[in-house]
Amino acid sequence: MTEHNDHDLEERFHALRRADAAAAPPFHTTLAAARVRGAGKPRRRTLGLAAAVVIASVAVALLLTRRGAPSDLATIRLKTPTDFLLTLPNEQLLRTVPALGRASVTGFTTIDLHRRTP
Amino acid sequence: MSPEALELELDRLHPAAFGWALACCGGDRAAAEDALQTSYLKILDGRARFDGRASFRTWLFAVVRYTAAGLRRRAAFRRWLPLAALGATPDGRPDPAAVLARTEATRRLTAALDRLPRRQREVLHLVFYQDLTIAEAADVAGVSVGTARTHYERGKVALRKLLKEERQ
Repeated sequence: MTEHNDHDLEERFHALRRADAAAAPPFHTTLAAARVRGAGKPRRRTLGLAAAVVIASVAVALLLTRRGAPSDLATIRLKTPTDFLLTLPNEQLLRTVPALGRASVTGFTTIDLHRRTP
Repeated sequence: MSPEALELELDRLHPAAFGWALACCGGDRAAAEDALQTSYLKILDGRARFDGRASFRTWLFAVVRYTAAGLRRRAAFRRWLPLAALGATPDGRPDPAAVLARTEATRRLTAALDRLPRRQREVLHLVFYQDLTIAEAADVAGVSVGTARTHYERGKVALRKLLKEERQ
């Protein structure tokens, strides 16, 4: 609702409205164009659906092929066929610190220094 | 509402709807026709349904505004695509033929309106051009009545100032 002192603006807008109305395309032309556009829609919709199916199947294929692969590259350790040559005999001995009085991992027993003969 | 009744209503409101579509598309005639056709299509194939909560005119204008905004977003996105130069996408500028057909006074008004913020322009158009109340304009623009009133008041002041500047 416009105010009483807004007649100047009102007149300008009404002049614009008359100019726009004179240049407006006929309703039936607009409606016919809309209907033509609507008739073309199903084909576009089918194409869109087909594209969506292709994208989804590629995504599923990628997921399935990548499932076994580790996600963190830093944890990957390459195992070569000659890897066994690097293992040393009894290398467990080099990795553990022997403790006196206890049986070690390798099965060796150590001497108890506090043991006294009867 | 039956399809025949819908068509009759759309026919009755067509000139006003075209004016509103032009306002939503910044005076670009091709974009306005595009927005109007898409809106009619949405209404006739039932994607936009009139539920009687507002008047048919208010509802139609809201559909046109929403559709024009969607087309504008899509056109802006297309302009960023690498092959955009091959297709003719509306750039949002007024149609030169339409500008020439207008009188000096209406040309000055549209030039001043173009310099206003979108919301202010929309509310002023709905109130002065379409003769809607501020409450109806708020419904169409999707804002509260208070916000619409603020846009209306600020828009009027800014428009008068711009028109005065143009005259000097």
